[in-house]
Amino acid sequence: MRYVAIGGFTVALLLFVAVEWAARREGSRIPTFGDVCAYVMRYEVGPVPVGRIALFGFWWWVGWHFFAR
Amino acid sequence: MEQQPELPADLPRAWDRPVVTVPTLTVLSLIGGQFPSFSTQANIYAIGTGGALVWIGLSNRVPRRPVPHRLRSGAVWWLLPILVFGVFEASTFMLGSRDDFPTFSKIADPLLDDSLIRSVGYLAWLSAFWGLVRR
Repeated sequence: MRYVAIGGFTVALLLFVAVEWAARREGSRIPTFGDVCAYVMRYEVGPVPVGRIALFGFWWWVGWHFFAR
Repeated sequence: MEQQPELPADLPRAWDRPVVTVPTLTVLSLIGGQFPSFSTQANIYAIGTGGALVWIGLSNRVPRRPVPHRLRSGAVWWLLPILVFGVFEASTFMLGSRDDFPTFSKIADPLLDDSLIRSVGYLAWLSAFWGLVRR
């Protein structure tokens, strides 16, 4: 079962690399991951940049989770 | 919150260039990689560096790259890696993240015990964070 989990996460990371690679090809219809993040960060509720706060908060937590806790 | 119009990223300030940012992020990563997990220093450092980047990103002090007004139709392909990762993370988490069916972070923990790998991980985290701030 351990190898199933490791294999699953490896497949997910390889898919991430593959989609990013496909997005960077000339004339691709797939946006890069950076463009997707930028699009999400555009979301605002009134004057509050909710998308920006959410992504920053999530990424901040990821760093704390892996490097501090 | 006051919004600043996007500034073109091809007009960098003196400090906002790879020759400055890459060494800065590298030094910050090498320092961060020295602090062991669960230590007070590691908590302060991760919260401090992340907090500084959040502050920079929300205070509009850095020029941003142009933002796409619409996503291209192929954006749905991004659901594939996200769903695969999400299914495995959720299932391993709900089953208690045991040694025989571990979550992603449980797999990464032994690797991150090495200070060099930890520094490389820190560099990836901070670089991606800086990329978000610039968006």
